[in-house]
Amino acid sequence: MQAITKSDFIGKDTAAAEKRPFVFTRPTAKTGLVSWLTTVDHKRVGLLYGVSSLFFFLVGGFEALLIRIQLAVPNNTFLSAQTYNELFTMHATTMIFLAVMPLSAAFFNYIMPLQIGARDVAFPRLNGFAFWVFLAGSIILNVGWFVKSGAPDVGWFGYAPLTSTAYSNQFATDMSTDLWVMGLQVLGVSSVVGSLNFIVTIINMRAPGMTMMRLPVFTWMTLITAFLIVLSFPAITIALIALMMDRSFGTSFFEVSNGGLPILWQHLFWIFGHPEVYILILPAMGIISEILPTFSRKPLFGYPIIVFSGAVIGLLGFGVWSHHMFTTGMGTMATAAFSIATMAIAVPTGVKIFNWIGTLWNGQLQMRTPMMFALGFVWMFMMGGFSGIMHSAAPADAQQQDSYFVVAHFHYVLIGGSIFALLAGIHYWFPLIFGRKVSEAWGKFSFWAIFVGFNVTFFPMHFLGLNGMPRRTFTYDGNMGWNSANFIASVGAMILGIGIAVYFVVMVYTYFKGEKVGRDPWGARTLEWSIPNPPPEYNFAVIPTVHARDAFWYEKHHREEIEREKAKSAAEEESHGGIHMPSQSWFPFIAAMAMLTGGLFFTNHNFMGAIAGGVVLFIAVYLWAWEGPGGYHLHLDKDGNPIEPKDGQAHH
Amino acid sequence: MRTLSQRAEAFRPLRFPFGDMTLTLTLRTAFSRARSLVLVGLLPLLTGGWTSGPQSTFETHGPVAKTQLDVFYVTLWVSMILFVLVAAVLAYATLRFRIRSGESNNQPPPEQSHGNPLIEIGLIVLSIGALVIIAVPTLRAIWYTYDVPEAERANAYEVTATGYQWWFKFEYPKEQIEGSGALVTGNELVIPAGRPVRVNLRTVDVIHSFWVPKLAGKVDMIPNRGNHLWLKADEPGYFWGQCAEFCGESHAVMRFRVVALSEADFAAWLAKQKNPARTVPGTQIGATPSAASPRVEFASYKYEKQRPNSPGWSESFDRAPFAAWQQKQQVDAGENPELIAQGRKLFIEKKCAGCHAVRGHEGAGISGPDLTHIGARTTIAGGLLENTEQNLHRWLTEPNNVKPGNKMWFGGYVVRNNETGDWEEQFSINDDEARALVAYLHSLK
Repeated sequence: MQAITKSDFIGKDTAAAEKRPFVFTRPTAKTGLVSWLTTVDHKRVGLLYGVSSLFFFLVGGFEALLIRIQLAVPNNTFLSAQTYNELFTMHATTMIFLAVMPLSAAFFNYIMPLQIGARDVAFPRLNGFAFWVFLAGSIILNVGWFVKSGAPDVGWFGYAPLTSTAYSNQFATDMSTDLWVMGLQVLGVSSVVGSLNFIVTIINMRAPGMTMMRLPVFTWMTLITAFLIVLSFPAITIALIALMMDRSFGTSFFEVSNGGLPILWQHLFWIFGHPEVYILILPAMGIISEILPTFSRKPLFGYPIIVFSGAVIGLLGFGVWSHHMFTTGMGTMATAAFSIATMAIAVPTGVKIFNWIGTLWNGQLQMRTPMMFALGFVWMFMMGGFSGIMHSAAPADAQQQDSYFVVAHFHYVLIGGSIFALLAGIHYWFPLIFGRKVSEAWGKFSFWAIFVGFNVTFFPMHFLGLNGMPRRTFTYDGNMGWNSANFIASVGAMILGIGIAVYFVVMVYTYFKGEKVGRDPWGARTLEWSIPNPPPEYNFAVIPTVHARDAFWYEKHHREEIEREKAKSAAEEESHGGIHMPSQSWFPFIAAMAMLTGGLFFTNHNFMGAIAGGVVLFIAVYLWAWEGPGGYHLHLDKDGNPIEPKDGQAHH
Repeated sequence: MRTLSQRAEAFRPLRFPFGDMTLTLTLRTAFSRARSLVLVGLLPLLTGGWTSGPQSTFETHGPVAKTQLDVFYVTLWVSMILFVLVAAVLAYATLRFRIRSGESNNQPPPEQSHGNPLIEIGLIVLSIGALVIIAVPTLRAIWYTYDVPEAERANAYEVTATGYQWWFKFEYPKEQIEGSGALVTGNELVIPAGRPVRVNLRTVDVIHSFWVPKLAGKVDMIPNRGNHLWLKADEPGYFWGQCAEFCGESHAVMRFRVVALSEADFAAWLAKQKNPARTVPGTQIGATPSAASPRVEFASYKYEKQRPNSPGWSESFDRAPFAAWQQKQQVDAGENPELIAQGRKLFIEKKCAGCHAVRGHEGAGISGPDLTHIGARTTIAGGLLENTEQNLHRWLTEPNNVKPGNKMWFGGYVVRNNETGDWEEQFSINDDEARALVAYLHSLK
């Protein structure tokens, strides 16, 4: 974390100077463990999200490789049925909730405030809380690997009644499903508070002149994604609480023997689950919409339509959930309605692809590594989109549902889509975050290994599915015509694994030894590139005034005017007390850890422990409110370094 | 629709044995077929072996699966055409507008154009048009595949399929048997060919899904929900099916078969199935003096132990599965009444009768598959293993190595100690006992 500490040259927190009760003494450490546990800096929170989500990305990838080894040949005995079921359940849960979502959150945290010209998010302590709760949820989900009961084994959408106490993990001590239920609930808390924070930030904290229709598209997609999270997570929360009640207290929401309705779970789950798909892909589309214009040296083609189609996708995403349920016997009318609604979603999605191509047209395409990943995204997402159209035709889907064709489809949109865009984003913003640049040769090598490995793995799966291979099967017979496609897919998975490994080794190497670059190495267009790299804690020495979409591009072409304006704003800000910074706090961390211990006690059916955790959580939140927002002012010298404060201008 | 599906027929790739050869063989074959590679293009060649197999959705044998395939081809063609168009423009733009090596990265920027509403709206209208092409056949097929068409409803045959962890029960509500209700079989659904069959879908535990790819797409079996599907086999034949919804530990090995028979054969089969279990003369309980355990000299075969999860299929069977099924209906040559009598006793002693029904004999349980005519079925263990002596022996002696977590093992061979929570052996079946049980079960034609 060497690169980060460089930006931590801020003076001592003057809040401590005031006489306050012990519990309200604000931590002031700027380096070391305490500084990270108590951080409220959106950039540090973003890095915490980034590092932990990449760790879980590697864990999920490792689980996938074990799965592919088992399926490389028919009748393999590399894994037992039980282990295999745990692996595919945890692979999906990990990749969705612990890798792609938090990696998107990492970019929301780090990049979005910079793009709108803000110094932090609206609720800095809530932001820290969202991360620590995420960490708590990820621990609860994974703790099963280390205890007798085993990891969750009910599939990532946990269809009732397989999740009831009667059926799930029936031959082990029965705790894995409780871990899954509790883990997802805790993660839901993290996602919702994080999203509320982003919504308030984007609406309230934009720099002067940053109108909604001048927002960078990534920020727009952050906003839409945050709304999707806030609106869709209540559905799964209700379902999970009902399931938790069934499992722990004997209620009968899904309990068949007492008249419960398992189909209810599917509706609730997919009312969350389909918007979730867009929660995973919209941030990716946002990243692509930043990278393509930068490396085409041209504005995004049809900005209003791209923004609008993103919103339409988000909206329609709430009306198509039952296309995950075409085989549940919904009847003709519902099936027809969801079929047509699903096809309709292809229109705004197609529009985005057209506009990305329009962005390239007549541009000067610089084939740097982020651009390679971005173009790879457009190709792969297009393929995933077309197999999606095939699913939308319900009668065709009757053959494809729950087969490897579906597995192929969602890996094309989730790896070829989300992951490619996130990997592109890491390459793209690495110079901003760490001040170093990944070598083009190694970057492109890892791109091609990932691109080839990905296609060799997942393209054959279309054929496996249409040839009748169901998903979630730990074994298959050698007479089904599935041998060669499975073997090739497994070879591809190894290539993909090598590509990912190279990618990460190169990233780690670059972090320590990579080529140092100055400000704005790509010739970019948005405000985050207007500040020094790595960014100082206060982000902007002077809050910028925005005059156009692609605000930084405008700045670069109107230097004198902007310089004059900045000098004026700086003087004005100084006269209002200087740069305002939020104070650090222990309570987000303490509250999240209370949630972790309470949650673990609950899954172990130790209700006294659970209540104790709840009490600590309650007290922590109460004290958090009581200590107040805090904050202090910074004054900068001519080089942008903070001047030691003299008069202790603390306020709270 | 018709012309599209005919064109799709033409698209259907050449059969190419890429599937199950060793890698060297594959390469050799690939070179020898180099000419067809040039003729038909790379993709169909590569995928030739990948579109055919016992559960291929490309090789349809009934109107429901055919309709679903036709819709798929419509989506495929529309997608392919759009993909080729968009990809061509994307590829052109990427190649045409890229900065080539040697060119400066620091030229003056291109014109900062922001879009073209006419092009954008035009493309939106175009995409909607393409979707309408898909939507029309989709809607027609949704109604057609949902239930037996009105015109054929009077002629439809009805069966009820029930999912269990991890096997299928099939009931024939129209075939009532005096004193024991509707005819029940397990894991092999026999239907009349050329007649629509309405399958009621039920489950006793978790969600399963009934899928016979060559006859019809899947529909789920959901607790507290009366689902159904319909299918029709155009011709007599033998079809593979499999559970398609994750249903617990052994979901992967929950399989079944469907046998379609001509009207006359079906009637004959029904008549035979309605009979109580066949009794080989002299094998009734008490007919022969009881021996302590079966004697080795009765051994009709030598059992070869298999590793867990080893395959239970054979090439000879796959070559002519329907003929194999017909063969199975005949009484085996060289039946050994003494061994069969021993097996029938063991069926009680080893508690088989508590879970399995053998109508007319001692079996009275209903929690496991009905075994009244198990000897006439081509598969055992939920469609997983061919019904051979070796496989049945293996299934009886080590069920948990064949189908992990199954209830014949858990709750049968081993039971849970309520105090310690551990599973403790209740009984086991040795090789001699297994041979007697195999002889008895195979006599149940």
